[in-house]
Amino acid sequence: MEEGLSTPVGNRRSFFVKTTLFLSSLIGISLAIPLLGYVISPALGRRNQDWVSLGKADQLPVDEPQALDYTRTEKDGWQKSQVTKGTWAVKRPDGQITVFSPICPHLGCGYRWNQKDRLFKCPCHGSIYDIEGSVKAGPAPRPLDTLPSKVENGELYVMYQEFKSGLSKKVEL
Amino acid sequence: MASRLYQWIDQRLKLKPLEQTLLNEPIPGGASWNYVFGSATLFLFCLQALTGMFLMLYYVPATDHAYDTVQYIQQEVWGGWFVRGLHHWGASAVMVAIGLHMLQVFFDGAYKRPREMMWIVGVGLLALMLGFGFTGYLLPWDQNAYWATQVGINMVGAVPFVGDLIVRVLRGGETLGALTLSRFFAIHVAFLPAIIVFGIMLHIFILRRVGPAGPHDEHRAKQGSETFYPRQVYMDAVVMSGAFLLVAALAIMVEFPLADKADPSDHSFVPVPEWYFLFHYQLLKYAPGALGSLATWLLPTLFFTGLLLLPFLDRNTERRPSSRPVMLGVGLGFLVIVFTLLGISLQHLYAIPKQDPSLARGIALVEQFKCQTCHRIHGDGANIAPDLSYVADRRPDRNWHLQHFKDPPSVSPGSFMPKFPLNDQQRNDLTNYMLTLKSG
Repeated sequence: MEEGLSTPVGNRRSFFVKTTLFLSSLIGISLAIPLLGYVISPALGRRNQDWVSLGKADQLPVDEPQALDYTRTEKDGWQKSQVTKGTWAVKRPDGQITVFSPICPHLGCGYRWNQKDRLFKCPCHGSIYDIEGSVKAGPAPRPLDTLPSKVENGELYVMYQEFKSGLSKKVEL
Repeated sequence: MASRLYQWIDQRLKLKPLEQTLLNEPIPGGASWNYVFGSATLFLFCLQALTGMFLMLYYVPATDHAYDTVQYIQQEVWGGWFVRGLHHWGASAVMVAIGLHMLQVFFDGAYKRPREMMWIVGVGLLALMLGFGFTGYLLPWDQNAYWATQVGINMVGAVPFVGDLIVRVLRGGETLGALTLSRFFAIHVAFLPAIIVFGIMLHIFILRRVGPAGPHDEHRAKQGSETFYPRQVYMDAVVMSGAFLLVAALAIMVEFPLADKADPSDHSFVPVPEWYFLFHYQLLKYAPGALGSLATWLLPTLFFTGLLLLPFLDRNTERRPSSRPVMLGVGLGFLVIVFTLLGISLQHLYAIPKQDPSLARGIALVEQFKCQTCHRIHGDGANIAPDLSYVADRRPDRNWHLQHFKDPPSVSPGSFMPKFPLNDQQRNDLTNYMLTLKSG
């Protein structure tokens, strides 16, 4: 130590050291918690799902799959945008309506209804499904994915979901 | 565990001498609460840098998104309002800390030889911090941001010869818009930080080369020196925690909501600059005509030139305040002027008129009948029918309003305003409210 340079010792010194440590941890923790939450909160948020209308249920022809689109406002973080989604709706003779996701469960292409063969066919890898969605041919690992749907006051509602492709089970994204 | 890790690193990097230099810096006359302001400023600056980086996670500097992203931070991100509050109040706190730091240095005569360079760099840092304040104010892109920046930039236009050019360069074109926002953003988050980091390092480098000034009181100075660590560090930590708690408390307790989204067509909006620019804003009200342009740019230029040259203008080598009556008088005079102007300005801004119940009912009726579907009042509402922000300036007559509410076309021919089903009292309440909407 230089000439004339003093420094606190003993209890006094450890009081200063400990208080400094305590105060700096206090600041650190009170900053770390909100900042951490701030960073991860949007990562944990689920997409909000609501029922959207696909139109009048009684206008669907029996055993003729219909491509029904709807447009809704979707939020992507701070950005709001109009998104159009498609579905395939099938009304069976007993009046039951099934709504399929428009995405092939094999690798995610868009499949179509082939009116002549009365089958759903995927143009990418040749997966083929019947009107019930069951796999008839091709590499598809599972039947077509059904979407939650309901009929209320004559309106057909659906809840849009997406599923992981390539799995034998239906797993929501 | 931590100490063993430190030993392991120390054996390789030989940190001990560095540690000695950093911690055993001699503080002449011993540690003191007088010396905490520089550290407090540095701490608050770091807090601004930290919260600023986090705000950038969600902020987008484009005119069509900036407002939405700040709204998103404020309302939807967990803790976003707190992070934004810390950044907002931290900006004010760092200005206060700089002010106190400069006052202490001024009062103690610590800017005198051999510390002139430290003072000059410090004045540069002050200018950079004001630059941070000015560029940051535009970023939320709300009405206040837009119009206050409009005024601020136009003030630069008063500078002779080059004023127009500077204004254009600042705006990135003829008008305040997309290019202004992105360049203010770049200046705020990249250019200024890069420059100020070097400024701060230089400031501290000079401090370490020249050494702290110590007390102006020779008797105390002769008592010998004390190491920087642990007592001065402890004092700094106490003050930093106090500053942090204050900023956090303000962020939690005083909301700082966004104004409406910037609307360049809405000329009724009255912008308010940040409080540290307010005294100058008030000063401009007293400088009419030709004097006005001098006050806008000449006074600030003189102020900064005076500050920069202070160590050379003040030839008195004496540091004790009692031996420097002229200098202290000048400083005190400056403070009195600044705080008087600030006080008058705040009084004007926050003078809350006493509200009588009829007025409150009038405001409620405007809500109830959705007048703002067509009329705009201080930026709120559609721009279909006349803007009512200052309607009493145009229509000061009570009877006109009463009749107008009874039957609009009878006093305003061709008006498409519907006849609302109002009773006498409601017409009276609405009229009372309309008559308060004036500029004076």
